[in-house]
Amino acid sequence: MIDYDYKKPESLKEVFSLLKEYGPKATLIAGGTDVMVKIRNTKKAPEVLISLRGLKDLRYIRKNNGYHIGALTTHRMLEQSDLVQTELSALHDGASEVGSVQIRNVATVGGNICNAAPSADTSGPLLALDATVVLEGPEGRRSVPIADFFTGTYRTVRKADEVLIEFQIPAETESFGSAYWKHSRRKAMELPLLGISVALKLSENKEISDARISLTVAAPTPIRAYKAEEFLKGKPLDDDVLREAGKIASSRDCCSLRDSLRCAAWYREKIIQVFVPRMARLAAERIRN
Amino acid sequence: MSEYLYVGKSIPRTIETDKVTGRAIYIDDLKRPGMLYGKILYSKYAHAKIKNIDKSKAEKLPGVRAILTGYDIPDVRVGFIKDQTVLKKDVVRQFRDEVAAVAAISPEIAEEALGLIKVEYEVLPTVFDPVEAMKEGAPLVHEVDARGRPLKSNILPLPWKFYAGDIETGRKASAYTVKDSVSTTWVNQCCMGPSGCVAEFDMNNNLTLYDQTNVIHLGKQRIMEYFAQIGLKGKKVRVVNAIVGGSFGTKLDTDIYEFICMQLALKTRKPVKILFSREEEFFALPPRQPAIFDIEQGCDKEGRLTFRKCEALLDNGAYTSWGATTPSVMMMPMSSLYRVPNVSFEATCVYTNNIYCQAMRGYGNPQANFAVETSMDTLAEEAGIDPAEFRLINRNQSGDETPQRLKITSCGLEECINSVKEKLDWDKKKKDKKKARGVGMASLIHVAGGARVYMSDGHGIMIKVDQNGCVDVFESGTDQGQGSPTVISQIVAEALGFKPEDISLTMGDTGLSLWDAGTHASRHTFMAGNAAIRCCEKVKKQILDMAVQYMPKLIKGGFKRKKRKDPDFVQPDLDYSLISNPEDMDIRDRMVFPKSDPDHPYFKMDVREIVRSGLHVGVGDSRVVVAEEFYDPPTEMLDREMKGNLSMTYAFGTTGVEVEVDEETGEVTILKLIAAHDVGKAINPTLLLGQVYGAVYTGVGYGLTEEIKVVNGRVMNPNFRDYKMLTAKDVIPITPVVVEPGDEAGPFGAKGIGEPGLVPTAPAIANAIYDAIGVRITDLPITPEKILTALNDKQ
Repeated sequence: MIDYDYKKPESLKEVFSLLKEYGPKATLIAGGTDVMVKIRNTKKAPEVLISLRGLKDLRYIRKNNGYHIGALTTHRMLEQSDLVQTELSALHDGASEVGSVQIRNVATVGGNICNAAPSADTSGPLLALDATVVLEGPEGRRSVPIADFFTGTYRTVRKADEVLIEFQIPAETESFGSAYWKHSRRKAMELPLLGISVALKLSENKEISDARISLTVAAPTPIRAYKAEEFLKGKPLDDDVLREAGKIASSRDCCSLRDSLRCAAWYREKIIQVFVPRMARLAAERIRN
Repeated sequence: MSEYLYVGKSIPRTIETDKVTGRAIYIDDLKRPGMLYGKILYSKYAHAKIKNIDKSKAEKLPGVRAILTGYDIPDVRVGFIKDQTVLKKDVVRQFRDEVAAVAAISPEIAEEALGLIKVEYEVLPTVFDPVEAMKEGAPLVHEVDARGRPLKSNILPLPWKFYAGDIETGRKASAYTVKDSVSTTWVNQCCMGPSGCVAEFDMNNNLTLYDQTNVIHLGKQRIMEYFAQIGLKGKKVRVVNAIVGGSFGTKLDTDIYEFICMQLALKTRKPVKILFSREEEFFALPPRQPAIFDIEQGCDKEGRLTFRKCEALLDNGAYTSWGATTPSVMMMPMSSLYRVPNVSFEATCVYTNNIYCQAMRGYGNPQANFAVETSMDTLAEEAGIDPAEFRLINRNQSGDETPQRLKITSCGLEECINSVKEKLDWDKKKKDKKKARGVGMASLIHVAGGARVYMSDGHGIMIKVDQNGCVDVFESGTDQGQGSPTVISQIVAEALGFKPEDISLTMGDTGLSLWDAGTHASRHTFMAGNAAIRCCEKVKKQILDMAVQYMPKLIKGGFKRKKRKDPDFVQPDLDYSLISNPEDMDIRDRMVFPKSDPDHPYFKMDVREIVRSGLHVGVGDSRVVVAEEFYDPPTEMLDREMKGNLSMTYAFGTTGVEVEVDEETGEVTILKLIAAHDVGKAINPTLLLGQVYGAVYTGVGYGLTEEIKVVNGRVMNPNFRDYKMLTAKDVIPITPVVVEPGDEAGPFGAKGIGEPGLVPTAPAIANAIYDAIGVRITDLPITPEKILTALNDKQ
């Protein structure tokens, strides 16, 4: 019988003391859409699940000297936020594509990132939006750029006694347009075969002044395609340039594509080459004013 | 005929409120006192000798009540050609081989016990490719046959052969010929409710099996045969359906888990439930039969088909269920879809160490239709004829007798093809072709008036009317979610002259029904409907006999009461001869009336008043209103040459698709899908469309996304995450067209429509993709990878 104890603390302080009490026997759970699936699949549960759902003040989307998104914000909240849709479009794309409405109603963005699946739908957008992850532990807070957050498949720099509390996205993102493409075989209840996010900014003469490209399912962790980003800077937004950026992004310089039962590596490579340009175009269209 | 009151109306489903509110009792919900839970241990190898099974540790686990292996139960062979035992004790031949079974007080304990059973295997050589399996020297999946005679080959002793006319004559008459190879793969039926049953014996070893089968009487027959061999000869068997969450072919065979469940119940003397997990549903339940076809067709200068020659190879898997019989249905489209005088069809089934297959919606028709209809397109192109025109030239027509001797009594194919053309704007789209966009179509023929595959293709029904005017219908079929309780209620209400809400249906219980061959082959509405109409005539006669006897008394009694209240009331002078002969009377919408004057002010009476007055009237005169009817249509079994008119009527239909292909990613978008079906007559249009929509979705999945990935015999994607069944969000813009020519043999003109919507969908998509981008994908499903590869090869 799969059995576990369930705690629902009301404050971070309580969370820390429970984490201290149970140590490795405890697992944090937010929406539960990853944790519960894992318990069912492995038929093994931790001794205690510490729910973060009591931390009601960690559900928010704010714009105030940059963007602040509480870790317990659900995918559905991101999907339904006008602010996210217009100013953090890639994140809106990603959040709206997760599972189904029922799943998005409970699944949290913090959970999506802490689970650290190479395919996580919000990870690519947050990378492209250059988000910072705010962690809090008994010793206090620290900030980690999301590009440094993932250390491996299902592994992150978060320490066992830390809780992810917030994502911060720099204020300058306001002048970027962004887009995320989840490549999959159907339109719901899907994992991406590949995820491509592009955020970019254009100069007055319509050159790409800054660009960030991120890929999911293209390596053991969600990654940035730095070489392709570098290539784009200062170049005009035209087909040849974008095609070349797609090629660079799909090359071994940026990612390590794998054959799997779900998809062949050659097809993943092709999808990067097709969708880096398409998402760049869409991102450019979405630049406001 | 007068206008129907209930037939042809979209009356809401009757019993579904319980389903959507969670009250309906599925096997999952069913609990019997003292019930135990059974679980099955499957093989770890695709082919291996079992050297030893050690269950001692598992037996000690608290809560375990029984552990069975092949050594604990009689060594009896079961299945279509008796090529397997219930539990395997010597050799396993596929990953889903059942090696041991546990009954315990909870599913979790049963599961834990499985992990404690130690099985030692010695791995044997395997063969997974049916072509390889046919070669000399290939590892033998079975060493001996059912009678213990040694086998030399993996080829099954089931040589499916159909010949009509002469292929060489046809070839000589051909101006154009084409040759194609196509293949289809395994797909799962994806029932919402997973498989399961509860077996319960009484103290005399009589069995009640709560089950999901759609062939209750045949299922009972198989169990009786099994019982005769395990020392339970003569024991009574009752098969009762729980609420069934979908069938789509999965409930046609009596599956191994059902026999295991009975054995566990027998051993423990307790009711035992086995309920599949979704994973088991994918790897331990036989899916649709895959097939490889080599097809050749020819036509003359005018585009008339001259011959069709096809060879099929079927990967039978390790054992034989209904999958191996799908060629018997493949023969129908092969011989009879479009007019083709010379036909040759041969199918070979080959054992491999893969999973084995059974029935799925359409049986072998979707596979064979994919071969025929993609070949129709290549031949049309070769002949330089528009594919729609080509199909019209060769269309089946009312009055035809096909090379298989199918008698086409009514045929709406021409209308179906033409409405697809019109709704797709076919001619314009063909003329002004847009880049990467294309249109395609495919048609089908299917049995729609029963399918005589057993000596009796009949349906028995019993109808009673009680003193309250409640109508109880005991019919012999099953409801697996298709809406039959609603449809049959409509038919009974119409035929008997009652309202649908007066009708209660009892289905799916061998103890409360006569014979029925099964709720399969799109036959239930046709069979049960015809039986119901005939039965209603008998019941109506009994009611009208009573009406003649009691109506004058009731009317006169009414006058007397009126007279007492109102002394001035003058009793009208009525011609009681109008209601003196039952032949001159009728019932409609609960009212009994004389046919010659339906709105007679005095002679129109609520039928409930008549049954209330006429049924319980003292010694000697009391009676019951009840009748039974057995409808067994005058159809033919297929003869030795596989010919014969096995169905009373045939359904036709055409699916047309417009697609757009993303040539960079290989993705296909369906812009429009027209599903035109000759349904005879729609008894309940909403439910009929439900059948069409559902079947089309499954057909699109078959064409584009669905595939059980079997690698070296193992199912690699046993879940809905990796098995790509389409979701509600993958909206397919379906435009249904209901063609209603009416069929004389059908109940109120109806034909069966359960399967047709699926059949031509995949080839229509394949043909549209070819039209769009000029590459033909011949292997289902048509994935973006296959499209990109083909586009690459073309350049």
